[in-house]
Amino acid sequence: MKLMNTPRSLDLAITNRCNLRCLYCYHFGGADDVGRDLPTAEWLRFFEELRECAVLTVTLCGGEPFIREDLKELVEGIVRNRLRFDVLSNGTLITDDIAAFLKSTRRCDSVQVSIDGEAPEAHDAARGKGSFHRAVAGLKTLQRHNIPANVRVTIHKHNVHHLEEIARLLLEEYGLPSFGTNAAGYFGLCRQNAGDIQLNVEERSLAMETLMRLDRKYPGRIQAAAGPLAEARMWKEMEEARRTGRPSGTRQGCLAACGGVFNKMAVRADGIMTPCSQLPHIELGRINHDSLRDVWQDHPELQRMRERQAIPLTEFEFCRGCEYVAYCTGNCPALAYTLTGADNHPSPDACLKRFLEQGGRLPVES
Amino acid sequence: MDTNARPIANPNVVLREEFDDCAVLFDPDTGEGYAMNPIGVFCWQRLDGRHTVAEIVTELRAACADAPPEAEQNVREFCDGLAAKGLVGFELS
Repeated sequence: MKLMNTPRSLDLAITNRCNLRCLYCYHFGGADDVGRDLPTAEWLRFFEELRECAVLTVTLCGGEPFIREDLKELVEGIVRNRLRFDVLSNGTLITDDIAAFLKSTRRCDSVQVSIDGEAPEAHDAARGKGSFHRAVAGLKTLQRHNIPANVRVTIHKHNVHHLEEIARLLLEEYGLPSFGTNAAGYFGLCRQNAGDIQLNVEERSLAMETLMRLDRKYPGRIQAAAGPLAEARMWKEMEEARRTGRPSGTRQGCLAACGGVFNKMAVRADGIMTPCSQLPHIELGRINHDSLRDVWQDHPELQRMRERQAIPLTEFEFCRGCEYVAYCTGNCPALAYTLTGADNHPSPDACLKRFLEQGGRLPVES
Repeated sequence: MDTNARPIANPNVVLREEFDDCAVLFDPDTGEGYAMNPIGVFCWQRLDGRHTVAEIVTELRAACADAPPEAEQNVREFCDGLAAKGLVGFELS
């Protein structure tokens, strides 16, 4: 695959601070948790380099981006340097003042707010008491100011039985055009709380069945790049391909799942560049010290990550004898790393064969 | 557009040259992107408020031996299209 001169977008962890400690947070408890923030001037200087590199968009994340007292100054720097931006937030610190400011920039693509329940019980179980009402207030503030608000529902043990009510609340009562789903993944704090928070095989099967049903009820309005709905869609296709003996598709049969390293990069709150916010232990250089363009084009770790898509799954003992190997792409390298210690390995969490062997069920069309 | 006009690129617009012949004009105020071929990039890089359309065409003919007879009309239409999208303005004398 040909490589762009520079990344098209970057995920920027503009802060290591957060007012919440969600049980499954990918940020805290991992290499991303760097214990400090960069001063304003460092980010502003880096935004100038992004302009020189013709980067188009940045995603502000953390930590909780709205906790930064200088957020307006940072956003003004983003706007000044011809970038658009979006924000990933827990929603609890969004005020009328900051929402009006974001709207006034005309550069904000969206603010993603995490809402994990239809009521405090399911949401606060993982995110802390009082966080549901504050997140909903933040969402409504964004709506009042006509800022595109994306809601992300992270599915876990405490809300997997609430998915229908959550969908009704978000799509019918709040009138959102759509919402996104994911599941608590084995990163950061989730690694310490996995038994209390992550879905087991039965709950995962239930989540897939429920989400597929909701997907039929609300066509096109439930999104998923990962998690139970994405897995249900992908695994059903793999099963159909296996059953009918369909030839393998492009990129299937190799570690080709992640194309992120061909489009984007990330920066930790301490200014260390990484391939992805989920791979914060791979340090590529430091902003304002190392050239973004040079890192992007020449860093051996990035080149290694890009070459992984040529590695056949049949090379792995893990995949030996799997009937799905010709249709699999190995899934997320970051999850493979946290589960196996190697990013050049298929992710066991995304293994259909293992899921079925453990008693998992694929959804059946009704 | 008059061939004596001196178009100037909107300074907010980003020219992103990807790889090989592929480039994108990106308007961060609207989020819209427009694919550009190498001739478009050649012209865009001369929309500096100093080159007239006629001068851009002259430079294009010098750079591309096989530039077609309708090159001037094509460049004018290219600039008109950009102006209609707010990507280009004109230097006031």
